[in-house]
Amino acid sequence: MSERVTITVDGIPLEVDAGELLIKAAEDNGTYIPRFCWHPRMKPVGMCRMCLVEVEGPRGILLTTSCNMPVSDGMVVHTESETVKKAQEGILEFLLINHPLDCPVCDRGGECPLQDQTLSHGPGESRFVEEKRHFEKPIPISDLVLLDRERCILCARCTRFSDEVSGDPLIEFQSRGNNTQVLTFPDEPFASYFSGNTVQICPVGALTSKPYRFRARPWDLEKTESTCPHCSVGCSIEVHTSQNEVIRYQGVDNDDVNWGWLCDKGRYSFESVNSAERLDTPLIRNASGQLEPASWPDAMEAAATGLASIVEAHGGNSVAGIGGARGSNESAYAFGKFMRTIIGTNHLDAQLGDGLDPHFLVGSTPRGVINDLDTAKTIVLWGPDLKEELPVLYLRVRHAAQQGAKLIVIHPRRTGLDDRATFKVVYKPGEGPALLNKLVEGDPGLAEVRAAINEGPVVGLVGRTGLTEDPRLAEAVAAFLRELPKATLMPLARRSNVYGALDMGVSPRLLPGRVSSASESGKAALREHWGSLPDDFGRDTIGIIDGLADGHLKGLVMMGSDPVRDVPSGNRAAEALSRAEFVVAIDTFLNDSAAAADVVFPALGFTEQEGTVTNLEGRVQKVTQAAPGPGQARPDWSILEDLAHRMGGSIGATSVNVLFKEIVTVAPAYRGLTWVDLEFGEGRDGLVMPLEEGDQPIQYVAVDPGLAPTKAPLALHSARTLYDDGVHTRFGPSLERLVGAPMAYLHPDDAARLGIPDGGEVDVETVQGSARVQVGFDPSLAPGTVFVPFNQGIGQNLGSAVEVKLEVVS
Amino acid sequence: MKILTSRMDAHPSDSHTISRYLATGGYRSLKKALSMEPADIIAEVKASNLRGRGGAGFPCGVKWGFLADVHPRYLVVNGDESEPGTFKDRQLLERDPHQLLEGVIISSHALGVNHAFIYIRGEYPKPARRVQQALADAYASGYVGRNILGSGFDLDITVHLGAGAYICGEETALLNSLEGRRGEPRLKPPFPAVEGLYGKPTIVNNVETLSNMPWIVENGGAAYAAIGPEGSSGTRLFSLSGHVRRPGNHEIVMGMTFGELIEDLGGGIRDGRAIKAFIPGGASAPWFTADHLDVPVTIDDVAKAGSMLGSGAIVVMDETTDVVKAALSVVSFFAHESCGQCTPCREGTTWLENMLRRLTVGQGRAVDLDLLLDVSDNISPGLAWPPRQTTICPLGPSAVSPVLSILTHFRDEVEALVTTGVSS
Amino acid sequence: MITWSKDRAEAAQRILGSYPERRSAVMPLLYVAMAEYGYVSEQAMRDVAELTGLTPVQVSSVASFYTMYKREEVGRYLVSVCTSVSCHLLGGDDVLHAVEAETGVPHGETGPDGTFSVEHVECIGACGGAPAVQVNYELIEGVTPEKAVELCQWLNATEPDPLLGDEMQALFGGQRSFDWGPSESTGSKGPVPAFGPYSTAGTDRLAGP
Ligand SMILES: Cc1cc2nc3c(=O)[nH]c(=O)nc-3n(C[C@H](O)[C@H](O)[C@H](O)COP(=O)(O)O)c2cc1C
Ligand code: SF4
Ligand code: SF4
Ligand code: SF4
Ligand code: FES
Ligand code: FES
Repeated sequence: MSERVTITVDGIPLEVDAGELLIKAAEDNGTYIPRFCWHPRMKPVGMCRMCLVEVEGPRGILLTTSCNMPVSDGMVVHTESETVKKAQEGILEFLLINHPLDCPVCDRGGECPLQDQTLSHGPGESRFVEEKRHFEKPIPISDLVLLDRERCILCARCTRFSDEVSGDPLIEFQSRGNNTQVLTFPDEPFASYFSGNTVQICPVGALTSKPYRFRARPWDLEKTESTCPHCSVGCSIEVHTSQNEVIRYQGVDNDDVNWGWLCDKGRYSFESVNSAERLDTPLIRNASGQLEPASWPDAMEAAATGLASIVEAHGGNSVAGIGGARGSNESAYAFGKFMRTIIGTNHLDAQLGDGLDPHFLVGSTPRGVINDLDTAKTIVLWGPDLKEELPVLYLRVRHAAQQGAKLIVIHPRRTGLDDRATFKVVYKPGEGPALLNKLVEGDPGLAEVRAAINEGPVVGLVGRTGLTEDPRLAEAVAAFLRELPKATLMPLARRSNVYGALDMGVSPRLLPGRVSSASESGKAALREHWGSLPDDFGRDTIGIIDGLADGHLKGLVMMGSDPVRDVPSGNRAAEALSRAEFVVAIDTFLNDSAAAADVVFPALGFTEQEGTVTNLEGRVQKVTQAAPGPGQARPDWSILEDLAHRMGGSIGATSVNVLFKEIVTVAPAYRGLTWVDLEFGEGRDGLVMPLEEGDQPIQYVAVDPGLAPTKAPLALHSARTLYDDGVHTRFGPSLERLVGAPMAYLHPDDAARLGIPDGGEVDVETVQGSARVQVGFDPSLAPGTVFVPFNQGIGQNLGSAVEVKLEVVS
Repeated sequence: MKILTSRMDAHPSDSHTISRYLATGGYRSLKKALSMEPADIIAEVKASNLRGRGGAGFPCGVKWGFLADVHPRYLVVNGDESEPGTFKDRQLLERDPHQLLEGVIISSHALGVNHAFIYIRGEYPKPARRVQQALADAYASGYVGRNILGSGFDLDITVHLGAGAYICGEETALLNSLEGRRGEPRLKPPFPAVEGLYGKPTIVNNVETLSNMPWIVENGGAAYAAIGPEGSSGTRLFSLSGHVRRPGNHEIVMGMTFGELIEDLGGGIRDGRAIKAFIPGGASAPWFTADHLDVPVTIDDVAKAGSMLGSGAIVVMDETTDVVKAALSVVSFFAHESCGQCTPCREGTTWLENMLRRLTVGQGRAVDLDLLLDVSDNISPGLAWPPRQTTICPLGPSAVSPVLSILTHFRDEVEALVTTGVSS
Repeated sequence: MITWSKDRAEAAQRILGSYPERRSAVMPLLYVAMAEYGYVSEQAMRDVAELTGLTPVQVSSVASFYTMYKREEVGRYLVSVCTSVSCHLLGGDDVLHAVEAETGVPHGETGPDGTFSVEHVECIGACGGAPAVQVNYELIEGVTPEKAVELCQWLNATEPDPLLGDEMQALFGGQRSFDWGPSESTGSKGPVPAFGPYSTAGTDRLAGP
């Protein structure tokens, strides 16, 4: 707790935290001081001078900016004196003399701080008779953002954001004085994963985003708070709709999670929600093998009959389920319950072969939260490139490192955090175990790193650096890190609601509520609610694909999943689907996998359903309905309930509310939670549920499995990039253009040794597949490494083997 | 009494060389200083009552006392001299660079600094050449570098060149510039003595300020304090320019009146004309008129009379001067040199410039006089002097000085411009 | 890829070594790049970005803040006429007009044949010798409009290289701010300031050993 002091603002005594900025202390207590340049999540710069107030001091009354003035005990402040008003009117007049005042055609008109403050604090008539500054009207500064320099009031929010917060300073002030302008470098667009934030925080309409431009007028907008579903960070957002159509997402300042920031993928993914390609009617495969539109009853009948006949012939055990990580907890719960009780199988998995041991992911102890980063002395990241996979977590780590935490990054390639890292260690895929041993044993080459790591509190961010890495390496790393002083662990997986789906038991190894499927007491408790539970061994996604391919499994239900694109051996998944006797898909798009199904159901997607999701901290947050959804699409849980009904049972999913209530009764880790808790008060930032006595949630203590390093002359590193070829990029016109071309990257020395020119063509071959691609150079790679971005045209066919061969084509 | 310019006066042909410097007692003070405790040197500087010569006139010893106890720490020499009317540092850099270097080395030793920087404005290539030659010679002779004169004290000095931005004379802008950033002044606090260059404690001193150090160490702070009136001790180099017969730099003991300075040292107004106005301390300072000729040239007396001694630049205007045009020249200087961070300075200075320009070309309107005043008031609330600083640095309010000066002292001339379109 | 001449590339390394942080080298490196390319071209800024680890736009943000980093090609002789207050009082504006008229180049521009660029500048610290003019940053004090015309003609006719301030002062100057002392044989070799003691612009040592 920080010390409290008393200040007086406009005659009202207030008790506030010592050292807090006056502008913030006043606002938190009901006095809004106008401002343009100050932003609560960035350092004050005191540039616009709009936040002037009078402060009584020993040497008389001081007119000063409140955005960089820390409060001190006994401070007496006037925010509305004549002097203050005159000064603020003066500032507004200065800002307006060069402003085009084209509010009627400005995206910001109606929600513009400059417009608002002009109405409340500004002078009337213009006294300015000189020529205004002129600039070329909006110029595109990236594929997503346009800049109108005439509207810019030079508050430096955008430039500070991209420099200080996101670490890609691609937009900066140019020239000086009255000629100052914001600009990018010629041929170097503002290609930042976070550019949308600058549009959101620009206090005027100088920065606008292409996907939103001219889409709506602010006063037509309906706003609903929700949670971004596109990765496991779980950023708080506001969904803006106009006439039942989602037209943008804005970041909401969630103190525990995203601080108001979003990544561009999350922000602009709203376009895919509105895509014309959305499934809006059920489909059935006809006699000639084509999928054709069908009525709900016919599709239900076909799906129920198809599944039932397999269950009858081969047992429930011959059917499997893949999916659940892309929707709400309620849908995932319904999916798990459907697969286990109606079909009667334990073959179900929300992870798609990219995951870590589910016990490790949801049950690791001591488990940390994002805010631990801010109190950490040391942060160790041995896992994915956060900028690519968990973008807003990247911002939070960046911030913590900037504030002085030591950051150690261990990864096979450059990462977005390297410039902030105290130490960066690069290694060749496969050699992770050897590197870990060196670190544990205090090898002289790593002595400095080892010494740095020893200072607690330590936060360990642990995950797979890429898809060819043995998942158990992360556990070995965690086993080491958890022993460090005051260590907490954050096991990382990026897939949207994967933590929620695992918490809901969508895994062969888990039951709802972080309970192991091997736990007899856990099973017994669940049986009391569910009646029956299959006892057999369950397969994970890779096992399911193998089982379908070799005929052990016959049927498959997919819910919001696309194994063909998403597992590290997509070609094998495609083969498995073609071998399956009967496949049902519930999805929002006819993706490559759904296209191979026998019956396809159109599901409502994000923004179209109420529910909860769970992020990588285990934080439960609300998602809300803001738009109706396309055509005949229905909530996935209700599709499952209908199917269950036709198969002679029920999963009790009469409404999403009922489902949630069942979850909080059945799932120990969620016990007692209510939606009201999540919608009001503290819970609006989401709640990380404490575990109670008597529950049996997993307390997973990572142990070092003692891996041997894999020696490969050439090792494959395959990892995701933010703009991979997933549905949200593919079906969002703005993001689609950002997807990179298929490439393989080599260290220039290796390329020279192998005689491959920059831009040459090679065949990349692994035991699992091969692909022909162009070569690019990447000096950040450890020698002997080939980097292939996953799901960017090819990567998904190369599998997860480390060893790779290159065949030069040209 | 001369401290700063005696060597160049006596040896005009080679005062800048190391041989002449050594032959005239150079680096003797350094040897003495190296044998002293740093705290004792600081005590001498405090005792000298030396006030900064860069413009603000802050007591040097007091500033040194603020230096936070964190290492590394830096000393930065402010040689950005760009205030219109000022050319004294140029002479010190060009004609006696070793005197400055010795001052820098002594001060670094006193302050526990191992890396000092000399920031010289980019338009001064010749002074830069001289200082670099001097620096090379000082390194070669062991006055700079490792283990200076066997004392165990190490010091590196880096010369950094500006590139055309007056605002870099403001000390925090200068630090930003030295860090490879835009020369934008920083918010204070923190002050440089606590968080300066690279976030480390830093002392910024003017060229002239530090050029006094060899003398102070040699003769003691008390001897320095004894020179001149209280509050303005020591000698000071004034730059005299404009309509005087003998423009130039004059090192004087403070205390004579402006009238004496202009008459006796400047030879009076050229062509036997009468004085109309003068700027007592660089372009930022409010103007004085003939009524102020008997104000004594001391920091405090000038302040009392409503202006400032600033950078020690006195610009004299005779009776033929078109004061509106002269004011326009000063205002457009500030508009051109505004860094652009603060709204009132960025927008307001250009607005003032445009209005004045309209006046000088006969497009003034009667409302413009009050508008000039009100816009000035919005840049510098209350039109007070010293300004109630509501911008990050004082540059914005400085632009108001000439406007206010002509509207106070020569309002009739400005009005005449509006009614007749020509200067009266 | 940086393709600077060998001595400039070496100077760059020396400069980088004389600061505790790389970013500080931006300004001196911009001078070196300006000497290499004749002006601060886009490539020059990319080069400096590469050397300092900044992005090109960060470098151009710095470069465009300072008036001496010319981001367009400059003539062989950059004539800078001071019009700040002391020079203004003594006819700096007339000197500027004379230079514009003689060269046919308006201030802020470069003549079509690339001989002259003309600019008016703020105080160059020569107010005691007003009106003051610089050619390629070498100073001449006490310049009258007539002498300014002769100066331009002389530059055109004799194409001096290097350009020596003392020589120009002797030929075309008048009142000085102070006694300049002995004359120097170092001068500028192009429209870039000659900072170093050992001559040509840009490659000199800008810092202590
Ligand atoms: C706009 C502005 C310009 C300045 N220019 C200079 C300058 O050119 N040279 C200088 O020494 N100080 C200048 N100063 C003062 C410096 O900020 C600082 O006070 C000074 O360098 C401290 O040195 P001193 O204490 O030795 O005077 C300027 C201040 C301002 C606000
Ligand atoms: S573009 Fe917007 S955010 Fe950026 S400086 Fe201008 S007004 Fe501020
Ligand atoms: S970081 Fe993840 S949760 Fe946040 S906006 Fe991006 S995709 Fe959405
Ligand atoms: S007052 Fe002017 S020069 Fe000073 S910081 Fe503000 S804008 Fe820059
Ligand atoms: S909000 Fe305080 S100066 Fe801009
Ligand atoms: S005013 Fe021209 S050199 Fe100073």
